[in-house]
Amino acid sequence: MSICQDLGLNFQQRMGATASQLEKDIGSEQFPPNEHYFGLVNFGNTCYSNSVLQALYFCRPFREKVLEYKAKNKRTKETLLTCLADLFYSIATQKKKVGSIAPKKFIARLRKEKEEFDNYMQQDAHEFLNFLINHINEIILAERNQSTLKLQKTAGSGESVTCNGTVPQSSEPTWVHEIFQGTLTSETRCLNCETVSSKDEHFFDLQVDVDQNTSITHCLKCFSDTETLCNDNKFKCDNCSSYQEAQKRMRVKKLPLILALHLKRFKYMEQYNRHIKVSHRVVFPLELRLFNTSDDAVNPDRLYDLVAVVVHCGSGPNRGHYISIVKSHGFWLLFDDDMVDKIDASAIEDFYGLTSDIQKSSETGYILFYQSREASC
Amino acid sequence: MAVQSDSGGKDDVKTQFVTREGTYRLMTLSEYSRPNRVGYTSGSGSTHVRVSLVSLPPGAAPGSDGPASEDRICFNHGKELYVYVYRGVKKAADLTKPVDKKMYKGTNPTCHDFNTVTMTAESVSLVIGFSTGQIQLIDPIKKELSKLYNEERLIDKTRVTCIKWVPGSSNLFIAAHASGQLYVYNEELTCGTTAPHYQLFKHGDGYSIHTCRTKSTRNPLYRWVIGAEGSCINEFAFSPCGTNLAVVSQDGFLRCFHYDTMELIGRARSYFGGFLCVCWSPDGKYVVVGGEDDLVTVWSFSERRVVARGQGHRSWVSVVAFDPYVVSFSDPDTEDTQEDKSESAQCYRLGSVSQDTQLCLWDLTEDVLKPPVRARASAHLSPNSQNFSPNGVPGKIPPKCAKSNKIGHKHAELSATNAAGEPSGAKPKTKANNVSTLNISVGKAKEESGLGVNFTQRLAALSFGERKSDHRRNFSLTKTTEKSATNTVALRGKSAGAPSDNCDPVKLIGTPSCPRFDECPVLEPLVCKKIAHERLTALLFRSEYFITACADGCVNTWSRPARPVSGTRRERGELTD
Repeated sequence: MSICQDLGLNFQQRMGATASQLEKDIGSEQFPPNEHYFGLVNFGNTCYSNSVLQALYFCRPFREKVLEYKAKNKRTKETLLTCLADLFYSIATQKKKVGSIAPKKFIARLRKEKEEFDNYMQQDAHEFLNFLINHINEIILAERNQSTLKLQKTAGSGESVTCNGTVPQSSEPTWVHEIFQGTLTSETRCLNCETVSSKDEHFFDLQVDVDQNTSITHCLKCFSDTETLCNDNKFKCDNCSSYQEAQKRMRVKKLPLILALHLKRFKYMEQYNRHIKVSHRVVFPLELRLFNTSDDAVNPDRLYDLVAVVVHCGSGPNRGHYISIVKSHGFWLLFDDDMVDKIDASAIEDFYGLTSDIQKSSETGYILFYQSREASC
Repeated sequence: MAVQSDSGGKDDVKTQFVTREGTYRLMTLSEYSRPNRVGYTSGSGSTHVRVSLVSLPPGAAPGSDGPASEDRICFNHGKELYVYVYRGVKKAADLTKPVDKKMYKGTNPTCHDFNTVTMTAESVSLVIGFSTGQIQLIDPIKKELSKLYNEERLIDKTRVTCIKWVPGSSNLFIAAHASGQLYVYNEELTCGTTAPHYQLFKHGDGYSIHTCRTKSTRNPLYRWVIGAEGSCINEFAFSPCGTNLAVVSQDGFLRCFHYDTMELIGRARSYFGGFLCVCWSPDGKYVVVGGEDDLVTVWSFSERRVVARGQGHRSWVSVVAFDPYVVSFSDPDTEDTQEDKSESAQCYRLGSVSQDTQLCLWDLTEDVLKPPVRARASAHLSPNSQNFSPNGVPGKIPPKCAKSNKIGHKHAELSATNAAGEPSGAKPKTKANNVSTLNISVGKAKEESGLGVNFTQRLAALSFGERKSDHRRNFSLTKTTEKSATNTVALRGKSAGAPSDNCDPVKLIGTPSCPRFDECPVLEPLVCKKIAHERLTALLFRSEYFITACADGCVNTWSRPARPVSGTRRERGELTD
């Protein structure tokens, strides 16, 4: 018994030299088993990537699928997805509980994959997220396609599987679809013949305009406000066979498992000929339901929990810094490149934005990740 | 004070607005703030400016130059706390001579309350809660009193979120903390030099009550642990009769307790997010809460169900308050006599302010509040049905007001004129909202609202129509009422307090505690005006005026409309005494 205690003490002392404040803050008893909090080293303006990767790592369904992919695909050629899987795997299998890690391979691959990211400039975190999600999805689809082609070759041309390169999305959703994809339905009512036509489109995230002193709930409602199509923007009505004034609105028909909300904080200002940061104070609750669902929505009652926020710090799109705050096992952590800190939930209000324009710089929520509650069980 | 209909204001911040009673005006000279105000500083930190107002009993004035008014106002801003003579709407604020002024180091005052039982013309007890958990008792007039509670933070280290004297008590007060706990203190007792050891006194579904295990009585007398672990209690409010205690928390629940028996008698769940504020109707029949779902939620005490939701704010609702002085509106000129006069109707005026810098006023009319026909049975199940004597609160029982439909029609007319008067206002939006609420196609709704149909009526009729049951799964009114009945029984039958899944918001949706959005009437605000540059944090109604405060530390007074010559005068007179 006493030996054990000694060992424990020794261990703690040994760790004491290197143990981060984070471990102390969380406390050894409270530290969740099998969880690792690792910062990501910055390779020169790669905080846009680091912040998004951390947020995605703490979107549990996404992390699990990526790790699953890693386990299943042992020997494949290097893609952005394999790099991501390796990175997640490396975080998840660290011996230490906290520390930092260099996402070298991932960044190198990213720079190869997309010209825009092949430099040391500041990038937009949302553009990166959008690229990453779509790209991963394409990789999965392509790999699936290859395997079906192989299957077809071996089994002979059996069923009517489409093999014209792109598998139709509806055939079978990928896990990226299952996690992030929602459906918007846009209803357009011709003001001439009153015919309502509706069209569905898929989304991986919703991009909402921000208003001063509002909530994300309000911004989402505005997203679904009725807009009138007129003048140069008339609607081609099939019924009238002509361009007519019409009213249009977009509502959510299928709610995704993880709802990613992009706050449009960078507005192009013609008079300055550049993008200006909009630091408006937009509050986001830890829990969310959508008001802007369509009448035929499949799961309108979905209750979401905030799990991660990518925060933009600074005065403009080309200067500044990205960090992320994530929820893990009931507490909140702040990831600032290679640094990780435990924060109080009440500190989240520091990232809502500013109520006046006096200050140039601000730390504001930029991408919100809400996870459906059913999924977290 | 000529009534003008224009609502002018600088940078779209309104300094006056019109309702059907007339024009409310910002009294620019009655602005209370710190004495030397340097611009307006917008701190990004939480600056929850709250206001306490007290009317001292008239007494022998200490001298000819004694204060002209019996009213005292207290507000906090940042590290500071001010007490001024409140001179109402007739006289300008005198900021040079505060009654008392406090500046704290390392902590911020967060909430405060005057004791109206022990006050005299020259003395009043003011209890103050702090961001670091301590509590102070002072007399801002006599200045000789200063006591500290939880000084060493042995009782609770977290922010005091709400502090109030127990109604009718000279020495008991209650402090709620961000830790999710609520403590009952006796100001005469000490807090001891050690951390309290508690023993369980009582527990129920989602709460437990503890007493201190000591030989001699000490503070706190009781500790109430409410809601999910560590979820901040945001506010609590006693019913006008002092019998019931309503508590709202960050876990999204309103919990209503019988204070003396400590039984949970009902609860409601937010649509999502925390509930931030709570108040009772002057007759104790309804509890209204506001929260992070941007909604104002009306919960019927007798029926134990959410009866309506108000949608109009663009951000979180920080304060809700009934205006007991405008309870009804009867217009003798109205020729509308289509409904039977025997049915006595009531109508309430409610105000709310939000982080969106807007003030909303709402009318709760009988046609919205009355129980749906089939659910009526459940109303009679409730214990201790109201026969409250509303003492101690300016409210009194609102007189029976005009027939509901008449009000409704008036309402519809009003909003129609509003829509015409304000080109491109918020009107199209609210229309769109109605559409989604009602589940009718865009075109249909437009036509109907164009005709000026009484919208509350429409909502009341439609939201319980058969339309829902065919596309919403498992929703049936009879079912849910049964459930509510059994719930009530279980709760009253000294529930063992097993951590049931009764608190799971995913399962509560579609029940009387949290109806789906389209199952419950949705109200539109009567007026919705931006009245400040900063988020609003306080709202108090008085007979002559109402008071608002915002995060930059400004406390504003708004005068009520000039009294009409006839008509509503009678009611107003009754109420103001």
